[in-house]
Amino acid sequence: MLYSVLIIGALFTTMPFLWLLRSSVMNMREIFTMPPVWLPEKPQWKNFADVFTMLPFGRFFLNSGIIVALNIIGALFSNTIMAYAFARIDFRGRNIMYALCLSTLMLPQVVTLVPLVVIWKYLGGLNTFAPLTVPAFFGNAFYIFMLHQFFKTIPLEYDEAAFVDGANYLQIILNVIMPISKPALAVVAIFSFMYTWNDFFGPLLFLNEEKMYTVALGLKMLTGMYSTQWHILMAAATLVVLPLIVLFFFAQKYFIEGLTLGGLKG
Amino acid sequence: METRPEITKKHKKMHLSRYRNRWGWLLISPAVSGLTLWVALPLLVSLVASLCDWDMVGPPQYIGLNNYKMMFTVDPSFWQAVGVTAYYTFAGVPVQIIVAFVTALLLNTNVRGIRFFRTLYYLPSILPIAVNSVLWLWLFNPHFGLLNIILEWFGFPPQRWVFGSETVIPSFILMSLWSVGSTVIIFLAGLQGIPRELLEAVEIDGGSGWHRFRHIILPLMTPIIFYTVVIGFITGVQTFTQPFMMTGGGPANASLFYVLHLYRQAFQFSHMGYACAMAWFLFVVTMIISGVIFKSSSLWVFYEGEVKK
Amino acid sequence: MTGGVSFAKDVTLTYVYWGSPNEKIAIENALADFETAHPGIRVRPMYLSADFVGIEFSAKMKALAQANVLPDLGYFREEDVGDWYAAGRILDLARYVERDGMDKDYLPQVWMRLDDKIVGSYTAAECQVLFYNKDVLREAGVPEPPTDYRNAWTWDEFVAYAREIVRDRNGRKPGEPGFDPNRIVRYGIGMDLWWAMLFPPLWSNGGDLVSRDGTEFLLDKPESIEVIQKIADLIHVHHVMPYADPSSAAAAAMPAPAIMLANGQLGFFITGQWELLDLAKMDFSLGVGALPIWKKPAQMYISGASVIFQSTPHPEEAWELHKWMMTPEKTLDLYTSGLWMPTKVSWYTNPTDLSKWIDNPVHPKGYKEAVVDSMEIARVVYSAAVKNFARIWGEAIAPELDKVWLGKATAEEAVKAARERVTQLDLLQGAWW
Repeated sequence: MLYSVLIIGALFTTMPFLWLLRSSVMNMREIFTMPPVWLPEKPQWKNFADVFTMLPFGRFFLNSGIIVALNIIGALFSNTIMAYAFARIDFRGRNIMYALCLSTLMLPQVVTLVPLVVIWKYLGGLNTFAPLTVPAFFGNAFYIFMLHQFFKTIPLEYDEAAFVDGANYLQIILNVIMPISKPALAVVAIFSFMYTWNDFFGPLLFLNEEKMYTVALGLKMLTGMYSTQWHILMAAATLVVLPLIVLFFFAQKYFIEGLTLGGLKG
Repeated sequence: METRPEITKKHKKMHLSRYRNRWGWLLISPAVSGLTLWVALPLLVSLVASLCDWDMVGPPQYIGLNNYKMMFTVDPSFWQAVGVTAYYTFAGVPVQIIVAFVTALLLNTNVRGIRFFRTLYYLPSILPIAVNSVLWLWLFNPHFGLLNIILEWFGFPPQRWVFGSETVIPSFILMSLWSVGSTVIIFLAGLQGIPRELLEAVEIDGGSGWHRFRHIILPLMTPIIFYTVVIGFITGVQTFTQPFMMTGGGPANASLFYVLHLYRQAFQFSHMGYACAMAWFLFVVTMIISGVIFKSSSLWVFYEGEVKK
Repeated sequence: MTGGVSFAKDVTLTYVYWGSPNEKIAIENALADFETAHPGIRVRPMYLSADFVGIEFSAKMKALAQANVLPDLGYFREEDVGDWYAAGRILDLARYVERDGMDKDYLPQVWMRLDDKIVGSYTAAECQVLFYNKDVLREAGVPEPPTDYRNAWTWDEFVAYAREIVRDRNGRKPGEPGFDPNRIVRYGIGMDLWWAMLFPPLWSNGGDLVSRDGTEFLLDKPESIEVIQKIADLIHVHHVMPYADPSSAAAAAMPAPAIMLANGQLGFFITGQWELLDLAKMDFSLGVGALPIWKKPAQMYISGASVIFQSTPHPEEAWELHKWMMTPEKTLDLYTSGLWMPTKVSWYTNPTDLSKWIDNPVHPKGYKEAVVDSMEIARVVYSAAVKNFARIWGEAIAPELDKVWLGKATAEEAVKAARERVTQLDLLQGAWW
């Protein structure tokens, strides 16, 4: 019973993805044949090679890798610390600062894009990775809010016990909170990876030279103004998505292995 | 641990609230500086720009509240955009949250191969939006699309999906259900954090599955549900990328989402001042509604970490 | 190099452009050749991803303008040229054009003239073309359309032939008993419906969207209404055209009608000349014919723009590169592959030059008469000249016309509503030139 539900759901979620996969090994005409065909007459593995000859995707993967790694590190550390402060330290001005922090989520980013470019020009960061990585180390309201909610579910006795043992807040975060919050931290890592990996607007605005471009931008470039080679685009999309699938498959073990609160208490 | 007595003494000496204030501000200082530089400053610029006629090519010109007047009294697309966005948000977000929660419960079991299923369920959320949009345009295509083929199997007439003015918003909601994976893993992380002995205790007491869900799982999940409601609302009203990539606001403005309208005003029609005014209106409305949701949270959100205060 | 003009040494120019990977390779090669021919000048390509409506490009350029780090020259959205010139961001090319005697060598439409100034040039030439699948026509017993643009089919003849092509899944034609319009397997006509594609039919019937000086709304003239209504009738009355959403950004880029044409699910396809690039790659017997005539033959000239930015410290070198990129030989691939048509007069009139770009398997027989020759009567679209054009279309006209294509309003109702929007938003502000 459970399995049949799981399988029906999985069909719904994977169907479009299978569509992507089969399209990535077809030629342009087969992709749109009507009625649709599910398998190519002859798999066009060449599409994958073409991706790399059309644009320097090897370089793009490297650039994206660097940017993503820095973003994950930044997001994990900065947001954990700040969310902890907001969730579990009762300091003066906390509520107003937290409200201000959350309110930054509510303004559409569209209108801040141009001022941001000007700010980064004065900071000397245009056409570098700085605008795409440095802000991660200064917190993101989205993750702060999420971690705040998770931290709120942890009984305060834990902190108090550690506090009595003489630990300061930084030690409490590192030794008590982070270990029991692995599932939530895994979520932050995954979101940060996904968001950064797929973001093309930031790179589009801040980077000017092709050798600095990212995979998301490269993918965007394959959809040309007057002509799109859909089979190549699909092959590139498959390549871009694979690292994410692998990452997710492995990251999710933290949902299971992450120590539960009960485990600690007992 | 050797230094324990000494530090405890120090703690006693220092007034506890002063200690907390110092640490609190120290820990949030990166956020304060970062948000000031990268969020507050551009925000201020946009507030000033909302009082100007500014095409972002030449210098801005002060025009007072004209942009706001234009928004409420002149622009026929403004209220259309408000309506479209409200329809999508209030119809779509609750459905998304319920579907995500049920899926998370389903994936929180410990049967064989569950890791594999979790990955499959998360797949759609991984796809880059550019690819996602293209895929769904195919699925929705009235002539080539898979969805109309499936409808035909069951004898239903073909639909126009995102290409029809009545069906476009329901189609976007359907599409959003497909990628609720992000919300699912947040719930999943929350479910995994529920202490096992609490659940076992109910079982020993002879409580039913429903009892366990109603009295243990649901209350403990309320902080996470609260989070998804707030974030769902905030991102719902800011929906932009899918309509931008798939329908361009059409047909007949039936999918002219608020932020899409704003974006086109800013960059396609060179009305940055007007776009900023629209952004600030949305900002204020979102704040008010979020404020209401936050205020309501004391009624239904249960924080373990606040029991002892 | 131009005699008498000397270039500074160690100059670096940034050239901004967009396009498909094919276009990118052709542009990069041309830029590299330029460097070889001009030692001392380096060109840094700034390749931007292309979005379908140019909004992302526009966002990027505005950000660069505000940060004062614009490139030296390159591609530009033609609708923005007027604004940007007025704001002092774009260099007047008039004295360079005059000095180098460029005027007479190029099609008169190429130069974007603002009074006595030249604020940019169109990068290429494009127009509207009637493509068809020869096998489909033969199978349906429909003759191939004439190629002489002066003696083309009338609109009504065209529609009548298209009806012959349509079949539902039971092999029935429109009008036959039992014909099922929901289950059509072969359509007669595919047509893109965004603003540019409406110009040739509107002009052919004596209608228009607005007046060229940007002061009058003309879509509610009876001649305009007739065109809009008859195009909508293709979908809802004659069932010869599949319904497609024209305002959809990505749908416009989806090659749905092109693929249908190649797969034999469509007889005729009216679209931009540039589609030849895609169509030629697909394996079927492609034909080109002259556009159907309403009252008199009409054709449009359309293209993206190229400009030099005022902020460049090296205008002389930038102009040299601008000229280089206007020379069809330098980017020959873009013409032979079917993407572009050249801007130079001799490439239309001189048989040797003409054969350089159309004597190849990409350009079908009849292309010369149906497409090349029709450029004699091509009027340049006024999307760049009329102020607020993007808004007139995007905010006032498109949403209302959508209702006609959806079958929810008549052309007359829609154009009336469109006029109200134009008035309410006060969009008619004249023209830049």
